[in-house]
Amino acid sequence: MVFLLDCLTTSALLFMVTSGLMMIFGVMRIINFAHGAILGIGGYAAYVATARGFGPGYGWALALLAGLAAGAVVERLVVRPLYKRPLDAILATWGLGIVIIQIIVMGFGRGVQFIDAPIHGSTIVLGVSYSAYRLFMLPVAAGTSALLFLLLNKTRFGTKTRAVIMNEELAASLGINSELIRFLSFCLGAVLGTLAGALISPLFSVDPYMGIAWLTSSFMLVMVSGYSFISLMLTCLVFGAAQVVISSFVNPVLGGMTIAVLAATTLRLRSKGFSRG
Amino acid sequence: MASLAQEKRAPGAPSFLSGLKPGRASLIALAGLALVGAGPFVTDAYLTNTLIKAFFFGIAAITVDILWGYAGYLTFGQSVFFGIGAYSAGLVFTYQGFSGMSIALALGAAVGAAAILGFLAGWLSFYRGAAPFFASIISLVLPIAMSQLALSGGSFTGSSSGLTGFESFDFSMEEWFWIAGYSLMACGLLGWKLVNSDAGRILTSMRDNSNRCAYLGINTSAINTALLAACAIAASLAGFGYGSFSCVVAPELLGFSLGTEFIVWVALSGRGTLWGPLVGTVLFNVTSSYLSGSMPFMWQLLLGFSFVLVIILLPGGLIPLLARPFAVNKKSVPELVEARPGEKALPEKGWPHAIEMNRVYKKYGSLSVLRDITFHAESGELVGIIGPNGAGKTTLMRCLSDGGERTDGLVKIYGNDIERFPPEQCVRFGLGRKFQNANIFDSLTVAECLRLARSIKERPSFLEKKRTLALPPYVLDVLRLTDLDKKLPVPARDLSHGEQQALELAMVLALEPLVILLDEPTAGLTKAERTRIGKVLVSLARDHGLCCLLVEHDLDFVKEIATRVIVLHQGCIIMQDTVDRVVDSELVRSIYAGTDFYAGPGRKGLREGAA
Repeated sequence: MVFLLDCLTTSALLFMVTSGLMMIFGVMRIINFAHGAILGIGGYAAYVATARGFGPGYGWALALLAGLAAGAVVERLVVRPLYKRPLDAILATWGLGIVIIQIIVMGFGRGVQFIDAPIHGSTIVLGVSYSAYRLFMLPVAAGTSALLFLLLNKTRFGTKTRAVIMNEELAASLGINSELIRFLSFCLGAVLGTLAGALISPLFSVDPYMGIAWLTSSFMLVMVSGYSFISLMLTCLVFGAAQVVISSFVNPVLGGMTIAVLAATTLRLRSKGFSRG
Repeated sequence: MASLAQEKRAPGAPSFLSGLKPGRASLIALAGLALVGAGPFVTDAYLTNTLIKAFFFGIAAITVDILWGYAGYLTFGQSVFFGIGAYSAGLVFTYQGFSGMSIALALGAAVGAAAILGFLAGWLSFYRGAAPFFASIISLVLPIAMSQLALSGGSFTGSSSGLTGFESFDFSMEEWFWIAGYSLMACGLLGWKLVNSDAGRILTSMRDNSNRCAYLGINTSAINTALLAACAIAASLAGFGYGSFSCVVAPELLGFSLGTEFIVWVALSGRGTLWGPLVGTVLFNVTSSYLSGSMPFMWQLLLGFSFVLVIILLPGGLIPLLARPFAVNKKSVPELVEARPGEKALPEKGWPHAIEMNRVYKKYGSLSVLRDITFHAESGELVGIIGPNGAGKTTLMRCLSDGGERTDGLVKIYGNDIERFPPEQCVRFGLGRKFQNANIFDSLTVAECLRLARSIKERPSFLEKKRTLALPPYVLDVLRLTDLDKKLPVPARDLSHGEQQALELAMVLALEPLVILLDEPTAGLTKAERTRIGKVLVSLARDHGLCCLLVEHDLDFVKEIATRVIVLHQGCIIMQDTVDRVVDSELVRSIYAGTDFYAGPGRKGLREGAA
């Protein structure tokens, strides 16, 4: 039972961390290498809020604002000029990640910080006692995916965004401001990133490099799931479960590499399978 | 990496040394020799120490530049190979002691492990249809996985503190300086020879347009993998030197911050120039060793900022800017000569069909784009394929030239079943495919494009640039007819649309194909150009026995040159007959006029009458 809950909550965490990256990749076809640093920003936003004695709600609000600001600045100054050079855009976001992390180091030092979870203790679920905050991640992830689904499928913004994803030139020629859509998507992606950073910070420690650990896993998840949030959810469930299995039964170090290795092999084999079908 | 076609070599990077006279190049080499020779006597111990390490890093940076700047593979993982070399030295010297035997063992481990891992990474990263940055993401997985392994190795790998104080080579500082310095120079020279050789052009061509490479019979996956393995070995040997010199081996050497530092150095100092990263890495390391002591975080921040700025504003890097005033932009032009005809005889009677398609289907889900395509074509025939938009003409071409395309059915080229072979294998069966839009290598010159197209006939040299370019007579004819022979040193992207089409045709013909597929070869050409191309095609079929398959919208053009016409409509062959009969038929008229003849009662009769 605990094992099942571990699988579910791990998948929920992965989904939270990955959704921002997915948002940006889906619309702009760019892997945002600064995503790790953006998670870090969220973590430190939560840290600043709790260290000053404010509640977690303030931390999340601060994370949201910081994400919005970071996303807006990065999109304008770095991503937009490199729109025609996708590989360079990736590199530039990577360089930006270095800059953000160094700024965090200069502001807060290299040290590891801990944040109290807003929900303490454990809850009894179906006969076992389990960390309440981890469980809290389940409705949060479900809510996020529902919101994203509604946003993309039931709103005008969503329709326009999907139009840009499918055929940007056509969308632009139909009068959709694709630059604005890309700008908003990038900001949304960054906000999702900082919120995820703030949300996961009580479960792990906060340090300037906290995002890097999540980076490869979330890259690989995005690559495997393509452009759809539904398939991202499924991939998170399957690979998250695999990670828990390997970590708890084989070796935690190998567990940390599970997603990356599994995803790389899946992509290698599946693409071959397509060409054969 | 076809989508990277627009990501050419960073604009403004002048081909500095490539235009140098041999005298000047050897002068630079001599100056380098003298500098390294005198180095240890003019620098203090601290600087000597820093420089030795920087030299080893420089070798790794050169491999990154070859992989990224030339072949277009952005790798964050070159540190893994560097680290493997260092750990080979550390582990073997710690546990086996230091002896002649253990040196050989350590070197063998460094080379072997790097080669195996390089091949593995290549297999994972380079396959047909892989997204360009997918390989980069795999390269990110490697260092994370490897440093985790080193960290979890317990006392065997020394975990996070690594291995220290093992016995190593008993060289003086001066000797280490010379070893490292001359190794760097040797690697630089070797790399320089490689990227400027004829074979080196293949690297650029794969970056420009890997699809065209495949259709020239070049196995890009294999070349990328082999290149990665070779660069892995070079980086590993550099790491071996670093480990043996410093006698400190730590997980950071495997980690991805070192891997990204390589990228930063190469990007800042000028990717795709080779000498830029060579000089730049040494400079950055020396600066960093002084500045990171006094202002560690500031220095990192500064590096990060300048990295972002250089990527956005100056993709060519900083160091080429300094050298720009001295650049000599002169490309050597090879002399065109006629190739000796290969031993391959002209197809004779009794040979199998040039093209044979049997019950070929192509489906996307429930949608059939091609249905039950069965036909054959012979040597010397010029078969026109006509049909309205969406009839499946280009899909038919694709199914003929790439074994992975069709859903069902049999395709044979001169009796060779193409099975599920990739395009490069189909090309080796004698197939040449000219695409609808000119599909060429933007940043290569006309001469280089043609040389590449010859690479399966005449293996290009790894070390030199040939002074002659041998081409079959009909290719020379195409070049002369279109005046391309006067434009050999012009980069392909600067040609006019018609010239680009002609260049692609010449490239495909340079393969000496037996069967040639042409997708609208006259689209966008002037009347005069069209007539010239028509003459060339007729002569190819009649005089050289090629089988030409021609997709065309222009019925007049087809009428002039084709010997037979196949009419495709909604994925089916509805008629194959002589030109006149097809052009005069009611059926073809009704299709082109848009009447839905399927609705009519005469469908069955028409089909039988046509076949």
